[in-house]
Amino acid sequence: MGPIIPLFEISEEINLLIAFLIGIGFGFALEQAGFSSSRKLAGMFYGYDITVLKVFFTAAIVAMLGLLFMNYMGMIDMSIVYVNEYYMASAIIGGVIMGAGFIIGGFCPGTSVCAAAIGKIDAMYFIGGSLIGILIFGQTYPLWEKLYNAQYLGSLKLSDSLGIKDGILGLLVIVAAILMFWLGELAEKRFKREDISKEI
Amino acid sequence: MKARFILSLILVSLGLVAAILPQKKNSSIELDAQQLLNEIQQENHLISTDEMANALINNDPEYQLIDLRSETEYKQYSLPGSINIPFEKLFDAEWAPYIDQIARKNVFYSNGTTLSSEAWMLTKQRGFKNNYILQGGLNEWYTTIIEPEVPASINGEEAINDYEARLGAKQFFTGAGAVNNASANTDAKKPVARKKKKMVAGGCS
Repeated sequence: MGPIIPLFEISEEINLLIAFLIGIGFGFALEQAGFSSSRKLAGMFYGYDITVLKVFFTAAIVAMLGLLFMNYMGMIDMSIVYVNEYYMASAIIGGVIMGAGFIIGGFCPGTSVCAAAIGKIDAMYFIGGSLIGILIFGQTYPLWEKLYNAQYLGSLKLSDSLGIKDGILGLLVIVAAILMFWLGELAEKRFKREDISKEI
Repeated sequence: MKARFILSLILVSLGLVAAILPQKKNSSIELDAQQLLNEIQQENHLISTDEMANALINNDPEYQLIDLRSETEYKQYSLPGSINIPFEKLFDAEWAPYIDQIARKNVFYSNGTTLSSEAWMLTKQRGFKNNYILQGGLNEWYTTIIEPEVPASINGEEAINDYEARLGAKQFFTGAGAVNNASANTDAKKPVARKKKKMVAGGCS
């Protein structure tokens, strides 16, 4: 019983190699889902294509169910699974900036790398822009530091903050996802754009 | 449309099962009582005084002696190279890099073996590795290394060899130049701390 790969018992190099392989898999899945097309990504915002919603929520549900069942069967130790730390202020501000960047640039950071890998020039510019942004943020970090670390809530899980069982939250997420998929498909019909090609 | 319906149904039913299942807490690090019992019975955690004496004479860097007695007792007498972690301070943050690490073999000792056994069980149960017990503690150290008993002539060659090795060790620990008090070499190096398990950075797309 335990983590599938005990991170603290393998060398840094093997660790990076595993990360590299997972990264390739992730990139491949993104590309296969059509996420290297900014038409598809922007479709989520305008409502004519909800592939993004479907792919990410399906991935989340599959991973969530996998963890829930593996935990029940004693195959994973959830206490050492990394839960992203929650800084409320920077999560909200970062979310807004990321959303704006997403719709202006047509990519999110991960998909821009995917698209650049298949030779899309706009994606390369996007990556350059992200790097400049990172540089500016890094250089002016002392200005933002207070805001960045504000309202730190630790590795908080939604189920813990609501005080319900993980499994029940899982069911709620699944129901919410199916409702969103259904509404999304209605939106796809309503905001249909014949002028936008389905091609990558 | 039909495929969508079936998929939704499968997902919801899986979610229902997950919601009904009781919440369980697994721990891959901490040992349960049965596992601890097995560990105790295997006796892999005991290090004999002869083995320890040999390691000290050869300046073996693999071992780190840890004195669990009080500070005053430690100052009166301690084994060379040992550090003092009073038993009640075992889990103080100050000592965490020593008792929770993967670099060296910690050898707990006290006068007898009560404190060292308790410390070993506590650390083992919390999943710390590389902790051992000096078999018999300082009492046995005294009767085997400092004042070894002359084997009866009826004992075999092995016992005689052991005795001779112990006489040599005695000379090393009590004889010329060897100092056994706290002022002796106690510059124990801080071992490499075990990597924190939660340091994996998360990232989104």
